[in-house]
Amino acid sequence: MVQRTVHPVVKTIFMALLILWGISVIYPLIWTFMDALKDNQQFYFNMPWAFPELPLHWSNFSYVWNNYNFGKYFINSILVTAGGTILGLVLASTTAYTIARYKFMGGKALYLIYISSMMVPFSLALIPLFFLMNDLGLINNPLGLILVYASNTLAFGIFVLIGFFRSLPKEMEEAAAIDGAGYFGTFFRIMLPLSRSGLISVGIINVLDIWNEFIVGTILVNDPTRYTLPIGLAAMQVEMQYKTEWGPLFAGLLFTIVPVLVVYMFAQRHIVSGLVAGAVK
Amino acid sequence: MKLGGAKLQRKLFIAAFIIPTFLYFCLFTIYPILQALYNSFFDWSGMSQFKDYVGLQNFKDLLQDPIMLNAIGNDYFLVAGKVIGIMLIATFFAIALTRLRIRGAGFFRSIFFIPNVLSVVVVGVLWGFIYNPQIGFLNAFLSLFTKEPVTINWLGFESHSIWMLLPPTIWAGIGFYMILLIAAITNIPESLYEAADIEGAGQWHQFWHISLPLVWEQMKISIINIMMTTLNGSFVIVTIMTAGGPDNSTQVMGSYLYQQAFKQAHFGYGASIGIAILTTSLVTTLLLQWLLRREQVEVS
Repeated sequence: MVQRTVHPVVKTIFMALLILWGISVIYPLIWTFMDALKDNQQFYFNMPWAFPELPLHWSNFSYVWNNYNFGKYFINSILVTAGGTILGLVLASTTAYTIARYKFMGGKALYLIYISSMMVPFSLALIPLFFLMNDLGLINNPLGLILVYASNTLAFGIFVLIGFFRSLPKEMEEAAAIDGAGYFGTFFRIMLPLSRSGLISVGIINVLDIWNEFIVGTILVNDPTRYTLPIGLAAMQVEMQYKTEWGPLFAGLLFTIVPVLVVYMFAQRHIVSGLVAGAVK
Repeated sequence: MKLGGAKLQRKLFIAAFIIPTFLYFCLFTIYPILQALYNSFFDWSGMSQFKDYVGLQNFKDLLQDPIMLNAIGNDYFLVAGKVIGIMLIATFFAIALTRLRIRGAGFFRSIFFIPNVLSVVVVGVLWGFIYNPQIGFLNAFLSLFTKEPVTINWLGFESHSIWMLLPPTIWAGIGFYMILLIAAITNIPESLYEAADIEGAGQWHQFWHISLPLVWEQMKISIINIMMTTLNGSFVIVTIMTAGGPDNSTQVMGSYLYQQAFKQAHFGYGASIGIAILTTSLVTTLLLQWLLRREQVEVS
């Protein structure tokens, strides 16, 4: 049998392009790290790709952490991300399970409402959301962000989790019923643990989305001590027009990037499978 | 009696699992959307006592607002640029990493996805540094080839700065769509390619007659998804990199909404921009569905 393969020259060109793109992705991360160790002097007189001079300015990190409140932003980000993710998962998994496993009046309509809400551009809701949160007294309050973020994760979470619950064998529920488990017991003790990988996928994707979120945060928070990392970073960049502190800016970038890179390294498989499940409609 | 009890229990269970989420969703997602439709008929500066009904006036003003028209143009410019750029490069990489049996395919796949997990704010700050006129990468690189140091203010041209927003958004978008296409291509039965091999069809031929038709549905979804996320989300990259400037030349609908509502307190007008985003996004979805329609290919 003739196995036709690609011409070696073509393959080399493909390989070169792949490596080139790989560098374009990795290199900015390396230079972010290097530039976080420079002082202003080096930014203005050396090439942007130059290595940082000794002594390395490790103080940039403590400087942004304390003077620019990145320590606070970091804690706010963790609080809001954890809260929004957990609340979103609880609300999404219960609804997804019921829609996936029970026939009831309005079930289809409910499903359609959640799914079609994904078609509505979120910027539409920004203004009313601001006034709603204002009325509820939740401006500059991490709880306000948690509530909105959790709501934003619902449609995607319900959509993906329905797929997971449907894929579980029906016998599991029947066995649970014979063992005398009630409706709630079946869900919490049997179905929820079985759909763990789906929950993890959706949870991690929500973690990334909330950690990186900027628009809602800008609108619902204007007190600098309540900023999350992306808002703080954007605010710092605006301030750069008045005082240039490039090294600290890159140090601040690292505080924002490193946590997501760590999550990505450990949970890559879950992120990819969840996103693929969510996009194949 | 017992049966009735079981039925009631079932109903209670369903209600307990469905209703809280739905009420929550109504309050924080559906209510704001409906409220936005309502607000767009008012001249409103944010205080309830000054909320005047003006009918369709906001929409009439929108159609005559040169900044808005320019913003719509910019939005579609970004949509077109991103669709072409992302789909071409993502398809290229997806094919390279699946059909060409390249070594280290898994490694490349993991690396290429990294920009997708970064915040758009991070992407904006990084690329802002590349474009920086005094100390940026781009000018420093170009200066290697010229006598005088290059000091182009990349984000400072009224006529061209919107072009500069394409590379960062394409760079940040490739990985996700590449992963989707890879998933679609790996779903194609290997036997089809083997049959093509036996008949002597080359890689290019296989791409046109096997891979492309069978992943077309996925490509359609990707294109529509790029369009929707661009109309809805380019606000962030614009805000971080140019803040809509210089002189509103890089404004997109989302950033203009933000400026009108939250900077200038024209909340009614801002709401009508939101409706414009919704309308354009729905109309474009239908249009793309129609343009990209193609006979469904069944794998036999």
